[in-house]
Amino acid sequence: MNATQTKTKSQTQTTLETPWNVVVHNDPVNLMSYVTLVFRRVFGFSKEKAEQHMLEVHQKGRSILWSGGRERAELYVQQLHASLLLATMERANNP
Amino acid sequence: MKIERDADGGFVFAEVEPPLVELFLAIPPAADPGGSRAAQDRLFPDPAAHKEEALSAEWNELVRPELREAFENATATVEGDLEPLAAGRDELTIPLEHMDAWLNTLNQARLALAARYGVGEADLNRAAAYPPRDERDLAVSQIHVYGLLQECLIQGLEAEE
Repeated sequence: MNATQTKTKSQTQTTLETPWNVVVHNDPVNLMSYVTLVFRRVFGFSKEKAEQHMLEVHQKGRSILWSGGRERAELYVQQLHASLLLATMERANNP
Repeated sequence: MKIERDADGGFVFAEVEPPLVELFLAIPPAADPGGSRAAQDRLFPDPAAHKEEALSAEWNELVRPELREAFENATATVEGDLEPLAAGRDELTIPLEHMDAWLNTLNQARLALAARYGVGEADLNRAAAYPPRDERDLAVSQIHVYGLLQECLIQGLEAEE
């Protein structure tokens, strides 16, 4: 297989791969400031963006923090669990 | 209790009163979910809300042991820092490089206590009963005090940025 074929196959797989959402759920025990800190560290968000997501979690019960490939979603969920946030991953087309 | 920062950015808790010493020393045991299924489930939640069997099985085999080890290492760091209090002194120092271990262990303790004693939002929005009438009241007090400590450490970390 030449380089062009490899690239085309890879692009097709990426296009066909189902995207996954990384979701954080509300937990009344976790401090708002702690959740904001974790979002900044794990996703590299600005303080403002991290606070927006934290408030969405608090007010709506959940927030989608990231969408994309499965491996990366697993890594993010693992990092969020390591910080003890209530996080799950779900198929973007079938939440 | 007096709280100060040392030259390296660490936190120094001085003149810690005996009831607070007890609460500090109770952090590591509180962080241990032990045989409580509710606490185990909260510290190690399913990554896909039980909707992806294969993912859950892989997670339990590969990721959960890593998380457990990370939590145990954080708790061991906290236990080390608590040694002066355990030895009867009234002073505790949390070095800056141990701050993450403390935030993690305090969170383990708060979540495990809440799960074990069924403490929810309504309980946390009420003032803690003093003196505590039972173990559950004590758990609510611990969750509040550990939350204040976490908040203090987070503000300290933000001040470092």
